[in-house]
Amino acid sequence: MSKNGITRRNVMRNGAGVLAATAVGAPMVHAQGTAGSLRFAFWDHWVPGANAALQQLAQRWGAQNRVNMTLDFINTTGNQLQLTIAAQAQSRSGHDGISLLPWDPGTYASQLEPCDDVMSRLSAKYGAVNPVAEFLGKREGAWRGVPATAGTQTKPACVRFDLLQQHAGIDIRAMWPARGERGPTADTWTWDTFLTAAEACHRAGFPFGLPMGQFTDAVDWVGALFLSYGARITDERGNPTIRGNQELRQAIDYAVRLSRFLPNDVWAWDDASNNRALISGRSALIFNPPSAWAVAKRDAPQVAENCWTVPMPAGPRGRFLAYLPYITGIWAFGRNKTAAKSFLEFISERESAELCSTMSQGYDIPPFLSMADFPVWEREGPPVGTIYNYPLKAHQQATYSIAFSPAPPELAQQMYIRALNTQVIARIAQGGESMDTALGWLEREINNMRRGG
Amino acid sequence: MADGTVMIQGAPGSVANSSFRRFARRRSTIAFLMTLPLILVIGGLVAWPAGYAIYLSMLNRRMTQFIGLTNFEILLESDSFRMVIFQSVFFAVTAVILKALIGFWLAHMLHHLPTKGQRKWRGMLLVPWVIPPALSTLGWWWMFDPSYSSINWLLAIFAVPSVPWLGEPWWARISVIIVNVWYGAPFFMIMYLAALKSVPEQLYEAAAIDGATSSQRLRYVTLPMMRNIISITVLFSLIVTFANYDIVRVLTNGGPRDLTHVFASYAFQVGILAGNIPRGAAVSLFMFPILGVIAFFVLRGINRRNREEA
Amino acid sequence: MSSTSAPQAHPRGIFHKAGSLRAERRWALWSAYISLVVAAVIMLAPPVYMLLTSIKTSAEIADLSGNPWWVRAPTLENYLALINNPMFRGFFWNSVKVTVAVVSISMVISVLAAFALGRMRFWGSQVLATGVFLTYLVPDTLLFIPLYQIVGGLGLLDNAWGLVLVYPTLTVPFCTWIMIGYFASIPKELDEAALIDGANWLQMLTRIFIPVALPGIIAATIFAFTVSWAAFVYPTAFITSPSEMPMTIGVVSQLIRGDTFAWGQLMAGALLAALPPVIVYAFLMDYYIAGLTAGATKG
Repeated sequence: MSKNGITRRNVMRNGAGVLAATAVGAPMVHAQGTAGSLRFAFWDHWVPGANAALQQLAQRWGAQNRVNMTLDFINTTGNQLQLTIAAQAQSRSGHDGISLLPWDPGTYASQLEPCDDVMSRLSAKYGAVNPVAEFLGKREGAWRGVPATAGTQTKPACVRFDLLQQHAGIDIRAMWPARGERGPTADTWTWDTFLTAAEACHRAGFPFGLPMGQFTDAVDWVGALFLSYGARITDERGNPTIRGNQELRQAIDYAVRLSRFLPNDVWAWDDASNNRALISGRSALIFNPPSAWAVAKRDAPQVAENCWTVPMPAGPRGRFLAYLPYITGIWAFGRNKTAAKSFLEFISERESAELCSTMSQGYDIPPFLSMADFPVWEREGPPVGTIYNYPLKAHQQATYSIAFSPAPPELAQQMYIRALNTQVIARIAQGGESMDTALGWLEREINNMRRGG
Repeated sequence: MADGTVMIQGAPGSVANSSFRRFARRRSTIAFLMTLPLILVIGGLVAWPAGYAIYLSMLNRRMTQFIGLTNFEILLESDSFRMVIFQSVFFAVTAVILKALIGFWLAHMLHHLPTKGQRKWRGMLLVPWVIPPALSTLGWWWMFDPSYSSINWLLAIFAVPSVPWLGEPWWARISVIIVNVWYGAPFFMIMYLAALKSVPEQLYEAAAIDGATSSQRLRYVTLPMMRNIISITVLFSLIVTFANYDIVRVLTNGGPRDLTHVFASYAFQVGILAGNIPRGAAVSLFMFPILGVIAFFVLRGINRRNREEA
Repeated sequence: MSSTSAPQAHPRGIFHKAGSLRAERRWALWSAYISLVVAAVIMLAPPVYMLLTSIKTSAEIADLSGNPWWVRAPTLENYLALINNPMFRGFFWNSVKVTVAVVSISMVISVLAAFALGRMRFWGSQVLATGVFLTYLVPDTLLFIPLYQIVGGLGLLDNAWGLVLVYPTLTVPFCTWIMIGYFASIPKELDEAALIDGANWLQMLTRIFIPVALPGIIAATIFAFTVSWAAFVYPTAFITSPSEMPMTIGVVSQLIRGDTFAWGQLMAGALLAALPPVIVYAFLMDYYIAGLTAGATKG
C-alpha cells in the first residue's frame, strides 16, 4: 500500500495541479536542466479566473530559474485550507509553501521558516507593510511568511446606492466619489447615520445584509465595529478586559440595536448568505469584498449597476476597515527553502501584485501601502469607479483592523473560530440574555480557552 | 442486524474421540488464522485508537504535558459544552422517537397494500435512505436558504409567514431533526415491514374472529410480536443519531450561537479546526457513556435470547 | 409498548359485527394510500427539487420572481460542466477506487472470520463474536481524532489509500455479523458430509458455504459499498487536496466555491454522486433488505 502511495505521490506531483485547478490548466514548467522543483498551495480564489495570475507568475519565474513549479489551489469553504495546514503541520510533510490564514503564522510559528531577509528587501523597495499584516505575520520575533496579495481582502460596505438614496435619503456616491477625496458629507458617515439608514431600508423591505453568524464575514465586520468603539475583549497577553469595560458595552449595545433592523436569520448566515442577499436584490447594503458585485455582474446585471463600494462607517474611536490577509508561509521541513523564498519575493514585486489585483477584478489587496494606487480600482465597472474606495486610501481616514486584536494568536484563533464577538451579540439580541449575563459568559469562555493550554 | 443467536449455535460435535483431538487442534489453528485479519482490524483500528483517544484527552493543547482530567473538567464547566450535551441528547432522542413512529406508521400502511403494489411504494419511500446523507443534506440546505427558500415559497402560498429555518436556534434544531428523520425513517419502515410480514396471519385472523378492533390487534398482536425488532432498531438508531456529523456539518455548522452543535461536530471544531486535539478527543469521549449503556442493553438482549434458545 | 409477551392474548369483552369487516378493510386501504402519497411527496421533494435546480441556469436560480418549483429554460450545462471537469471526474475515480478496494478487503476479512466464528468454534470465538458486534456500536465520530494522529503518523494523511486503511472499521464488523448469521443458518449435515468426503476447510468454504450463502454475501457487499461510498467523517478529516477526494467530500467542499455558490452545479454534483448507490439499490434492494432483516426477524 505504501508503495502505491509513493507512486501516487509522484503522479500527483505531475498532475495534481491539473486536477486541483478548477477547469484551468496548471503551470507545468519543464525547464531544461532544472534546479529542483517547488510545490505551493495557494488559496483557491473566489473570483473566477483569478488563480490564473499566480499560475502565470509561477510559469514565468519557473522558466527563468529553471524550477519545476506546481501550484495547488485550496478552498476555504468547509475549512479545507485550514484542515490542510493542520494536516501538513501534523505530518510534517506536504507543500513547500502554503497560504496561511490570519492567525496561522502565530500558531505554527515554530514550524515556519523565518522570512526576514525577503521582507527587509521588499520593505526597502516598497515602504511600509500593512500594520495588521505585520501584527499577524511577525511572530516570535521574526516574519513567519510573506504577506500575500492574492486573496487578501478588505470588507468595506457594498451599497445599493439607488436604494440608499430612495429610502434613506443618502447620496453615497456624493459622499464617497471615485476620486482621491472625501465628499462634502463624508464626515456624517458614522455608525449612528448607519443605524438610521438601516432602519429606513428595513422598513422599506430592503434590510442591510449583515451576517451575525460564525463565519469570517460576520466576525470581521463586527470586529471592525468593536474597534471603532475602542472595545477590546482581551489585552495583549490574553487577559479578559470585560469587567467594567464601557466601550465594550457601548459597542455591543449598538450591535444589538442594529440587529433589530436586519433579516431575522442573520444569526445563521454564512459567507455566501450576504452575497446572495445582495445579488437577489433584497438587500441595500452588505460588508464584503467585490466578489458579490462581480457575481451580480454576471447573474443580476441590474443589481450590479447600482452597487458602490464605500468605507465602513466611523465610530467614536475612528474608522476601521476589516482586513483579512493571507500570508504565504514556507514550511521549515521543506527541502528547497531558498528557491521558495525567492519565488515569494518575486510574486510580491509591484508588477506581480498588480497582475493579481487586476486579474481578480480588483479583489486582491497588496500588503504594501504604497500599492493602493493600481488603476484597476478606478477602471472596473459598471458603474465605473464602483470599487475605487475598496482598498484603504488616505482620504478615507481609516485604519486596517482584524477582529480580536491585540489578543495573542493562539487565543485569538480560538475566539475567531468560535466567533465569540457575534455570539455575545446574538445571546442578547436573539437569546434575550441581559448584557451582564452575556458578558459573564464571554469571560468564562475566554478563561476556559486559556486553561489547559 | 443479523442474528444474534447464531454464534452460539454450531457447537462442536462431541470431541471425545481421541483421534479427533489432533484434528480439533488443527481446526482451531485454522480458525484462528482465518479470524486474524478481523482481529487486526478491530485491535489496530478500533481498540487501539479508542485507547489512544483516552490518552490524548489527558494532554495539554500542545501535547507536551500530561494534565489528567483537566480537559474534561474544563468542558463540563463551559456553558457552550453543556449546551452541546443538551443538544446531542435532545436531537438523538427526538429524532429517534419520530423516526420510529413514522417508520412504524409507514410500514403499517404499506402492509395494508396488496403485495403486488408494495414494491413500487417501498422503492419510492426508500429514496431518502439511499442517497448519501451529506449530499441530500445539501439539497435541504438549499431548500432552507434564507433568501431562496423554496419551502417558504410554498408556505407563502398558504399565507404562512416565512420561517427562519436555520437562523433561529429552535427552528435550526427542528430543521436538523427534520433532515435526520427524513433520512432515517425509511430504515425503520423497512425493518418494521419485515417484522410485520413475519407475524403469522393466523394470529390476526384469530383476533378478528374474537372481534378485536384494529387498535386492539395492534396492541395485543403486532406490538408484542415486534418487540425485539423495535428495541434493536431503536438502540442502533440511537447510536448512529448520537454520533451524527454530516447533517449538522452541512446544514448549520453548529450555528446559530453554537446551539445546534452535537458531540461530533463540536469535537471537530475544537479538535481539528481550533487545533486543540486533546480537548477534541475529550469531547468525543463523552459519547462513551451512552454507548456503554446501549451496549449493555444489547448484550443483555443477546444473552437472554441465547438462554431462551439453549 | 405492551409488556404482554403472549401474542395470542385475546382482547376481552368485544362484540363484533362481521359485516363491518369489509368496510373496515376498504377504509384501511384508502387511508393507507393517502398516507403513502403524502409520505412519498415529502420523501421525494428534496431530490426532486435538487433535480429541478440542477437543470436551471444561474440566472434563473438567482431570479426570485418565479416559482422555484418550476424550470423555465431547462439546461444540461451544469451536468456538462461537471462531466467535462477533470477534477470532478477525479472525485469519481477516487470514490470508485476506494470503494472497490474497501469492499474487497472487507468481504475477504469478514467472510473468512464469519466462517471461522460461525462454523469452527475455537477458544474465545464466542467472546470475539460478541466483540465484533460491539465494535459496530463504536461510531466513526468517536475515533476520527485519534485516527487522525495515527494516519498522520503513517504519512497517509491526504492520501486516498489512507481511507482504504480506515474504512474497514466501518464495514468489517457489520459484514462479519451478517455473514455469521448466514453461515450458521446452513444445516450442519452439509459440512459433515464434506468433511467425510475429505474436503479441507478452505474447500468447504469456497465450494459449499460461499455459494449457499450468496444472498448474504450480496447483502454484505451492498452494505460495504454503501458505507464506503457515503463515508463523510473520515474523508473530511483526512483528505485535503482535491486530487485525493472521493465524491461526497469533493462535492461538499469543492463545488461550494467561495462566497457565491453555483447552486445548479452543486445540485448536479450531489445527484451524480448519489447515482451509483441509487442504481445499486434499484436492482439489488431486495437482497439488501433480506440481509438486513433476516437476523432481526428470526430473533
